[in-house]
Amino acid sequence: MTLASETFRWVADLVHSRSAIQLEPGKEYLVESRLTPLARAAGDEDVDAYVRALRARGTVEALRGVVEALTTNETSWFRDAQPFRSLADHIVPELLGPTGTAPVRIWSAACSSGQEPYSIAMALADLATAGRLRVVATDLNRQVLDRARSGRYSQLEVNRGLPAPMLVQHFARAGADWEIAPALRTSITFAEHNLLDAPPAGGPFDVVFLRNVLIYFDLATKREVLRRVRRAIRPGGYLLLGAAETTIGIDDEWERVSLGRGSGYRLSTRRAA
Amino acid sequence: MRALVIDDSRTMRRIIVGVLRSLGFETLEAADGREALDLLESGVSVDLACIDWNMPVMNGLEFVVAVRAHREWRDVTLMMVTTESEHGQIVRALAAGAHEYLIKPFTADAIREKLQLLGLVEWEVSA
Amino acid sequence: MSASIDLAAFAGTDPILTLAREVFSAMIDPDPAALRPWTGDVPALVEATYAWVDLGGETPGRVLLTTERATATRLTRGLLGLADDEPVEDADLVDAFGEIANVLGGNVKSLVPDPGALTLPTVAATSPAGPVPDLLHEVRLDWRGDVLVIALWSLS
Repeated sequence: MTLASETFRWVADLVHSRSAIQLEPGKEYLVESRLTPLARAAGDEDVDAYVRALRARGTVEALRGVVEALTTNETSWFRDAQPFRSLADHIVPELLGPTGTAPVRIWSAACSSGQEPYSIAMALADLATAGRLRVVATDLNRQVLDRARSGRYSQLEVNRGLPAPMLVQHFARAGADWEIAPALRTSITFAEHNLLDAPPAGGPFDVVFLRNVLIYFDLATKREVLRRVRRAIRPGGYLLLGAAETTIGIDDEWERVSLGRGSGYRLSTRRAA
Repeated sequence: MRALVIDDSRTMRRIIVGVLRSLGFETLEAADGREALDLLESGVSVDLACIDWNMPVMNGLEFVVAVRAHREWRDVTLMMVTTESEHGQIVRALAAGAHEYLIKPFTADAIREKLQLLGLVEWEVSA
Repeated sequence: MSASIDLAAFAGTDPILTLAREVFSAMIDPDPAALRPWTGDVPALVEATYAWVDLGGETPGRVLLTTERATATRLTRGLLGLADDEPVEDADLVDAFGEIANVLGGNVKSLVPDPGALTLPTVAATSPAGPVPDLLHEVRLDWRGDVLVIALWSLS
């Protein structure tokens, strides 16, 4: 089975127009594997036939399903570990201070099925944040947001980078799945959001997690996204990117700061408005 | 880095050994807890043990307890790799001294991420 | 009380089907569409092959897998990452098919109230001997056209 190049181009254009995510040539396997279940469910022989039918008479819902199938990413808990250590050991203790009472506001952008915001809540569970943690977790994919809200994960998902002590402390078995403790869920608000729209409610944020998202965008879109994040973050707040990502060469308003063994970005004081 | 893979299923040992070798580990195998203890007692030193729970002769939990009773083996990282998946069983294994717990079925990525958490494998910069 | 699974609690999803999908997608066949419920009657099996584990404790039960020997051979290739035409030794087939029963059995155990210990797997060309136990639940699966039946039996 090989995907027709015409099919790939159409799907890539659709996904780009709806999500700004760029599916480069070479990602044909991704289109094929993600859309095969949709094609079978629709009774079509293969992805090419499914896409032909969609182009002829696709509903808004069906097109949305295609975009969602291709923008859902497999995510693991505590991905790369270091950002969560930077958060718990450096950023949040500084924000809490000895006498502070202000809430700690964190935005987990493009949170997918919720592993990142729940990891944030678990990483901070032992700090004296009682009631002060406010996490806003957003994604443009409605389907993954519903999964994230449910706080329910399969055995395979809890196997992915979740330390066993955290699993037993914060999860309970629910049939074949595991369910996260309600106490952790109450600190998180999930909302649908496109990174090219105005920032979500709940800011300005002390910390923004925008991890392993920029890698999917072209340069102009990366710049647009970072410009919007600047408006969502409070002066002195931190931006945490994925291990392979940087603001350098994209948006000069940020400066890199070291946070223990890891690093993050802050709005440059010399130019910040 | 050297790892000891303890499982009575040779299929499972082959799968785990394959993943560990791809991550740069040198590997040894044992078919039950007693065989694994014999290896350690003979002076073989390992950095990591991947331990099945249900095995003949000596099970994985008994092996963990035995290893933790020896001061000279305190640097061995112990990871259960088992189909036992009740909450209470995971608590028991951690209380006995296991450092991590991977539930079967698992993917190669899941093993790598657990070993990254344990500091035995570097976090890669992935694009 | 016999070993019971509250299927009503899973809102129409079958936890054994879910567990089987996880075992297949992680370790045997990465294509999520390759495993689906079998539709229609299960045909007579050629060289039927059985693998089972027993759950002890308050609610003794048995998880029994039944398939054709050719399917067990293909499952073994999937687990070991062998090519389609690579020969499979008997000992590997017995070990691999038994391990699939073990992994499924251990996960089923987590669904059962008051589970006891899990026995080591048995693989045989005949169904397990002994008194006929009660069938509690059965899932018939279609893996790329091959049939695989997973049954949960009560032994109490």
